[in-house]
Amino acid sequence: MPNTSDTGCVVVGVGVTEQGQKLGIPERELRRRALEGALDDAGLQRSDLDGYIACHGNTAFEDLRYLGLGPLFSWSLTAGGATAISALIAARGVLATGQATHVALCYGFAPSAFRAGAGIGGFGYGYPELFGMVGPSTTHALHAQRHMHLYGTSSEQLGAVAVTQRAYAAQRPGTLGYGKPIRLEDHQASRMICEPLRLLDCCRDTDGGVCLIVTTPERARDLPGKPVRVLGTGTGHNIRNWYDKTVFAHHDDIAPAKERAFSEAGVDPEAIDVAALYDPFTISVIMQLEEYGFCSLGEGGSFVASGETGPKGQIPTNTGGGQLSGYYATGFTAVVEALVQLRGEGGPTQVEGAEVALASGHGGNGGVQNTWSHATAILGAGL
Amino acid sequence: MSPRVPHPLEFAPDDADKVFWEACRRHEFLLQRCSTTGRYHWPAVSDPETGRGEMTWVPASGRGTVHTFSIIHHVFRPELAERVPYNVVVVELDEGPFFHSNVVDCPNEEIYIGMAVEVVFDDLSDEVTLPRFRPSSR
Repeated sequence: MPNTSDTGCVVVGVGVTEQGQKLGIPERELRRRALEGALDDAGLQRSDLDGYIACHGNTAFEDLRYLGLGPLFSWSLTAGGATAISALIAARGVLATGQATHVALCYGFAPSAFRAGAGIGGFGYGYPELFGMVGPSTTHALHAQRHMHLYGTSSEQLGAVAVTQRAYAAQRPGTLGYGKPIRLEDHQASRMICEPLRLLDCCRDTDGGVCLIVTTPERARDLPGKPVRVLGTGTGHNIRNWYDKTVFAHHDDIAPAKERAFSEAGVDPEAIDVAALYDPFTISVIMQLEEYGFCSLGEGGSFVASGETGPKGQIPTNTGGGQLSGYYATGFTAVVEALVQLRGEGGPTQVEGAEVALASGHGGNGGVQNTWSHATAILGAGL
Repeated sequence: MSPRVPHPLEFAPDDADKVFWEACRRHEFLLQRCSTTGRYHWPAVSDPETGRGEMTWVPASGRGTVHTFSIIHHVFRPELAERVPYNVVVVELDEGPFFHSNVVDCPNEEIYIGMAVEVVFDDLSDEVTLPRFRPSSR
């Protein structure tokens, strides 16, 4: 390990439920099952948990009784797709100030249970809804169109993201894309959703739960699992780019998030072995690769098309298929994949010798646009 | 029976933008302006520089350029089924702010980033008028 970062926060338990469409499992039951998995993984009991952060909606008040927990605090944290990493940041503070020793970050979401015609795709974002601007795919299409205008990014390059990530998912049991590789022709033939995004540029709503348990390095040494250290974290907010009118040229306000996270971790992008980027749409991967410095601004499309995010590329990215082809657990999809890789559990898509991973999250409705919050986490294998 | 036309304020948390939408009924396009910084805003905000200036609604040009756009093909909601394919544009107004809207009087395939546009008012009902944009000649 090239760095000596000690944020005082270690992920010691990971619980991931079945992830799929129309599972028919209530959201809090998904959280209960995820919690069970994380406790088993960490070798902890319910009574060990003294902190709880609910990571989807305002469920902190009601979750404890159903989950059978008795912590010192229970908070709801809501930052859209940046929630998972934001909760890690909150947990860092809790651990550093001695407010708690074992904190559970718990997520459970069942968008396929929504009424017909709704789901995440039907979300509205304030007055633009009057003009038919509905859903996150439309807001991301506005970014994609602008990126194409500025840099000449092509639909085929967007397709390269979809094909690359599906190739990972095709080898990962439990993902939506398992056993179902696609070709660029499939992407190009898929129906248009909102130009320039086609069906295969978009992820799908999935039901599922995820729970992470974090603790201090001292406590982690006594536990039987596979610890993963939080090496650095950072945040940025796109409202700053809204004010200066560069909001559509950026995929979030990544610069300050990146700077803080890399500085804390004491590494630069060359040290990242695997990237797990928040990827509801193909354009998200291209723009984040650029803004994180894995390639130059405007070159994300050709970078992916030439295989640099694949298993033999410069930076294997979304190695479980991501949200596009794996499953959509909001901000937890990326964090979980980073943990999977650092624990060496990636199976056929394991990146050999992965020691440092980058995970990102973005999201949140700002009334006029939908990509407000960004959060970065750099994670490291072992203690 | 045609679907009910929602009032714009149904999409806002309060009446802060009521003056704007009432002006649209009169076919006037307003923006909020900070008396201290002179910056124009939409929707209603506190100016990020001072936050203390008086914010007043003032007449604006209603002119701008298409900053980005999408043509929507998927029916995201049943009530939009009759509209597809339709465009959604973000207009960068001459005074500065972005305004999400639609371009009218122009085929979808002829919309492009940088296209000059000007406001036109679409009276949808006795209560609701929406500002849309059409190509302008400058």
